[in-house]
Order: sequence, then C-alpha cells, then structure tokens
Amino acid sequence: MTMKMPELPHHPASFRDPSGFVFQVKGIYYRQISKSYAEDYEQLLQSGLYAKLTARKLLLTHQELPENLSGSPEHYKTLVPEQLELITYPYEWSFDQLKDAALHTLAVLRLSLEHDMILKDASPFNIQFRDGKPLFIDTLSFERYDASLPWVAYRQFCESFLFPLYLEHYSGLGTQKALLSWPDGIPAAVTARLLPWKCRWKMGVWMHVYLPAMVEGRTKRGEGPKRGGRPAPGKGTFSKEKLQHILQNLEAILNRLGTKGDDSTWRNYYEATILSRDYLEEKERLFREFMQGLTFKTALDIGANDGYFSHILGEAASVLAIDADAFCMNTLYRGLREKNILNIQPLCVDIVNPTPAIGFRNRERASFSERVRVELVVALALVHHLVFGRNLPLTDIPGYFAELTTGYLLVEFVPLEDEKVQELIRNKSRYHLPYDAHYFEACFGQYFDIGKKKEIPGTKRILYLMKKRPSSL
Amino acid sequence: MKVVFLYIDPGSGSYLIQVIIAAVLGALFYFKNLWWKFRSFFSRKKQEPPKNDNENA
Repeated sequence: MTMKMPELPHHPASFRDPSGFVFQVKGIYYRQISKSYAEDYEQLLQSGLYAKLTARKLLLTHQELPENLSGSPEHYKTLVPEQLELITYPYEWSFDQLKDAALHTLAVLRLSLEHDMILKDASPFNIQFRDGKPLFIDTLSFERYDASLPWVAYRQFCESFLFPLYLEHYSGLGTQKALLSWPDGIPAAVTARLLPWKCRWKMGVWMHVYLPAMVEGRTKRGEGPKRGGRPAPGKGTFSKEKLQHILQNLEAILNRLGTKGDDSTWRNYYEATILSRDYLEEKERLFREFMQGLTFKTALDIGANDGYFSHILGEAASVLAIDADAFCMNTLYRGLREKNILNIQPLCVDIVNPTPAIGFRNRERASFSERVRVELVVALALVHHLVFGRNLPLTDIPGYFAELTTGYLLVEFVPLEDEKVQELIRNKSRYHLPYDAHYFEACFGQYFDIGKKKEIPGTKRILYLMKKRPSSL
Repeated sequence: MKVVFLYIDPGSGSYLIQVIIAAVLGALFYFKNLWWKFRSFFSRKKQEPPKNDNENA
C-alpha cells in the first residue's frame, strides 16, 4: 500500500524554511506563516520592528488574511505581501547592486538587534530591487535574539555577499559568473584559492576568508566541529557588543570594495564611435517620434549600454535595461542611484545567453525568458552584433523578440556596408548571409507587422517600429 | 523544550570563527581607544573619540 503524500502548494523556490512558504492562488502570491514560527512572527509585529522596517522601506509590507488558503494543517496566519512586478536574481545584478543588497541586509539586521531580533538567514535571494532600491522580502527571516550566541547566518552572508564582492574587487571575476556557479554562496576554501596572494596581508580577508577556509578544511561540511559548535540557547559566551563589532567591520569592508572594470568592451561606446553626435541626435529624434504614438507601460531595452535610450523610455514607462557588459550596467545603476531615477532597472543579462532556470527540478529560480514580458522591446544597433559577432542566423532572432514582447518592437537595422559591421567581419571568413534590409524585413515579417520605417539621416541605418502579430506565436 | 529550526547549517566552525573575529576586533577597538586617550592626553584640543570602524578590507 502506498500512502498518499500531497505536495504542499508552495512556490517552487519556497521550500527551505520550515517556518512557512509562499504560494500562489489565481495569480496572487500569499505567504503562509506556520505554527512553528508563530512566536517569532508575533515578536516581529509586537516589538515594533515590522512597523519600523516598513516605514523605512526596508521590508516588504503585507496584510494578514483570516482564512487558511493553503489548507495546510501547520497554518498559523496567511499573509498577502505587496506584489512585486519583476523578480531578479543576484547573478543578474551588477557589483554595486550586490553591494547595496549586502549593506541593506546588514541595515535590516542592525535594526532587528535593536528590537531583540536577529536574521536567521542572509541570502541575496531575500532581496529584490523595487523603485531602484533594495528591499528585504522575506518576512520569515526574523527570529528572537539570543545575545549569548553569534550570528547564525554569518557564514551564509559571507559566502553569498562578501566573497563574490571580494572576488570581483581583487580578482576581477564577475560576481554574476561566480554566483551562477554557486547560487547558495561560494565556499571560503574556493574563495581563498581564487583570491590573489596579496590578499593574505589584508586583515579583513584573513579573518573572513582564510580563517574559515582553514577551519572548514579540518571539519566536514554540515558536521560541525568537535569544539566551537553551536552552544545551547542562552549558554553561549557571545555578546551583543561582539556581534556589533563584527557588523561594523563587515560594513566598513563592504564600503571600501569597488569594481575597476577598465577592460569593459563597451565602455565609451557612444563617445568612441565617429558616428557619434549627429547620428545620436537624429536617432533620438526618430526614436521619440516612433515612441510618441505608442501606449506602453513596460519596456525592455536590450543591449542598453550606457542607458541613453533607457532614460528616454523611462519618460513613458518602467524600463528593464539589460546588457551583457556588467561594467556598463554597474555604471548605469550608479548613475540612476545618484539621480534618484526609480523606474529603470539595469540587469546584467546577455541576450544570446539569457539567465537559465536553476535550482531543484530547474524550477527554483526561473529563467529570464520565463520572467520577462513587456509591451515594448527595444533593440538598437544590436541585431548586427548578434548576426556577425555571435553568429546567430538572422532568421532566429525575431522569434525570441516576439516571445519577450506582447505588443511592439523598435529595432534598428545596420547594413553590411556600415563601418561597424565591416569591423565585425574583418577577420571572419564565414558569416551568415543573406543580410540586407529586404531579408531583414522578411525575417521579422514572420512575427511582426512593420508599422513605421525610416532611415536615420546621414547613415544607411534603418529604424523600424513593428507590431507583434497576434498569430505569430 | 524550545524547538530550534535550523535550516541553514551553522556548523563547520562558523561560531568558532565569529568568536575569534570578535576577539580580534575587540582587542583592536581596545587599543584604538587606548591610543586615542594617549594622544588626547598630550594634545590640548578636545577631540571626539574614534568610531570603531576597522577599515581593513
């Protein structure tokens, strides 16, 4: 006889913490608080921590629902959290986005300590970007603070925030690549091997990387050491003051970390190109003209570079600006942060190799293509790079754009004789042909109706405004 | 008995490491303060005590 074990209706990424789970009913996300988390949850509310965190926009707000929507016997409360439009992952963030997320986590921890609570986990997946700023989204991360014990999530914080930032700072190994390989954090021993030798003389690196790497080497992961493991509650020898020293130290270290990014391929793209000023002005004029007749609330700028056109799109809609070049996206993020522009979200995504689905059953973290749907896709001076730089046949490109947009596509055609294309094919003996405006229109015509078409004055480049055909997918 | 749900693994010496780090930082803070007191004793200007920001990245 087999016993029927119903699967909990939880979101595919919400299974690790037994305190509760996120689930979806009719397109709305809910969070169940389970009985085992009741006391911690009540303290979060009654201590005033929740009110303070949400007033300072550090934590996602929620409302309580009286009914048990999940039907789970463990049910204590059902919450309706504020719904998020787009979920992004740490391996899509640029250096400063990850750094801001790390500092945000520490700020939440600091405020929690003032209310006799502590964070029981410190994963970057608990952070999302909303209105340009990090936001803590996991209501179940707070637990009552036992001042005699150190921070339970210290190692997780180091492995998933500090180490990837260290690796970028000292080795120039992009945080995205590192975190996609180790989404649950890079072990200290791995980080120690990847960091350059000179780091051994940095006290911070020695304390947070080399020391744990040495200790980890002596104990098996998950087993815990014979000495120095977790003492019984209230029986530890730690103190709040000691924890605050560690916190201050982590904050000071994070504030000093930076990215160099001097070798970025696309840096100064517009400044360096001789087409520059006139071309840009004419293109902007046409771009605005095409944009004016459209109604759209969301846009995706593919190959956004310095975000010149993302800013223009941002005048009318909320914009997702993506580029494979992490340095460009970092510069864009910093610029937006300084100017306090809230509706443009930069992400490090390579459109030829978009973020895959990862985690358990490949369902825990959705792929870029699953998550992103916009009303307008913009691809300026991009298609020729995909065809000649990345060897994508022209026929394969429109289908993907049609998948991402629900309405429109604004795309630029750069002809074969264009200086930029000539640069791309100079050292290539083989590339995909045919490639001309006629063939370009035929390929895109399979999925889109061409609405407007204009040559950018002074060049042979053509700007198209296309509308997705309902039957195209 | 209080049930503690630990779904992230705190073992492998993470506690031991924090104890060591806190000791190092505590000692640094102590000597920084001592140095500041020593300096302010010899200078006439009254200064604010330093904050404990160990800037050793």
